[in-house]
Amino acid sequence: MIELKGVRKRYRGRYVLNGLSFTAEKGNITCLIGMNGAGKSTVMKAIMGLVPVKEGQILVDGKPRGRWMYEKISFVPDHLTMPLSMKMSEGLTFMADFYASWNAERAAELMRFFRLEPGEKIGNLSKGTAAKYNLVLGLAPNSDYVLMDEPFSGIDLFSREMIADVFSSELIEERGVLLTTHEIGEVEHLIDKAVILQNGKAEMEFDCETMRSEEGKSIVDVMREVYSR
Amino acid sequence: MEIHRFRYILFALMGLTALVQMCAIAFNAMGEINERNVYFEQTGRAPEEFFAAMSYTRAVQETQFWFAVPVGLSIAVLVIYAFLIWYRDWFGRGTFAYRLLSLPSERRNIYFAKLTAILTFVFVLVGFQLLLMPIGRAIFAMIAPADQLQPSYIADAIFANQVFKILLPRSFAEFFVNYGLGIISLLVLFASILLERSYRWLGIVYGLAYAGFCALLMVYPLLALGLNYSTGYFYTEEAYAIQMAIDGLIVVASVWLGLYLLKKKVSV
Repeated sequence: MIELKGVRKRYRGRYVLNGLSFTAEKGNITCLIGMNGAGKSTVMKAIMGLVPVKEGQILVDGKPRGRWMYEKISFVPDHLTMPLSMKMSEGLTFMADFYASWNAERAAELMRFFRLEPGEKIGNLSKGTAAKYNLVLGLAPNSDYVLMDEPFSGIDLFSREMIADVFSSELIEERGVLLTTHEIGEVEHLIDKAVILQNGKAEMEFDCETMRSEEGKSIVDVMREVYSR
Repeated sequence: MEIHRFRYILFALMGLTALVQMCAIAFNAMGEINERNVYFEQTGRAPEEFFAAMSYTRAVQETQFWFAVPVGLSIAVLVIYAFLIWYRDWFGRGTFAYRLLSLPSERRNIYFAKLTAILTFVFVLVGFQLLLMPIGRAIFAMIAPADQLQPSYIADAIFANQVFKILLPRSFAEFFVNYGLGIISLLVLFASILLERSYRWLGIVYGLAYAGFCALLMVYPLLALGLNYSTGYFYTEEAYAIQMAIDGLIVVASVWLGLYLLKKKVSV
């Protein structure tokens, strides 16, 4: 389980995260929802240790973060994280060199699934192809958790469908996924749990299925309620 | 990896250095032969009577500007690259910093990879420069008539060039001072860059203040302790020891600060 307890992060003179607490469990797809600037990406970066947090605790499987964590959690940001001069195959070799959890067989399988050409330069990839390649880098390791920041942003319909297929595949099933997206409608049926961010806090944390069956509300309905308060 | 990313620029600098310096030597030798031919045509006398024997050392001395140009350019490129080696990972479409900082290995490896990469480039270029010296001598010997050629030692040729006196020092002590100062400056620069990457706008102020403070510390013994004159309060050896201690302190502080920031404070 990834657990955030009272996390505070200051950015440009204001608290982007102001006592944020929530959990993301293994085997669940948890979606962080919030308006632009709510701090969704900052949460991802804070979990990965890519931005320092001022206060609070971030635990992974009950333990404070350390470099061991990078074998357990994969991060899929909304942009490329490999040198543009590299070929896609070189990027895969780089990952295999550094991560003990890297699964080369799965990487090859994902490259085929997304129809990616290993010899192509990373710098030449379109936004959609780059997103698919990022998913290869994030899903190929045998990690327990995957963090995805806007995996559908700026991507064409067919690519989006391909990525959405991944969410319902065995590639995701056993893992804990924490994602941020603006395209709630498209992935609503896949999400197990939603966390609504407002003013740097988790304004609401709920099980989507329970919300649907007991109160008859979709995620978007709940969002409307929260943001109109 | 860091070396691999700089390889084309490194090869370009090596190629440019070889081209400019070897052309300078060749043109110098051909120019001198031409002068001798003109003298012979005009006076009918053998040039040996008027001209001294052709010497590679003298050719290096006469072409030192053209030797210094690629060396200066290489130094300028390396100074710029000392910034770029960090900033290229943070800016642009492929923000490699995300990946580097998420590697399951110690973050200090990133720091030392970048540091050793820059040092490797410096020593590769210096080594290549040393290699070019006998090649230049061979080219010079091929152009100059054998009967008018005076043999030259490479060490003399190196000493004939003002830039090489700093770049290729003859004694280990000089090497230690020249390259030691360069390495300290690089460590201070790395610490300042990481201050900026950690605290952004405020980090620029911190970085400049840190670099300024280190520069002041380094020149203080020279100005106040009489390291450069014999009538100071301290014996020269004592002043040197103080200078070395201060330099050592700056090295330790800069490396510690750089590693601390990279581990705890840096953000993407």
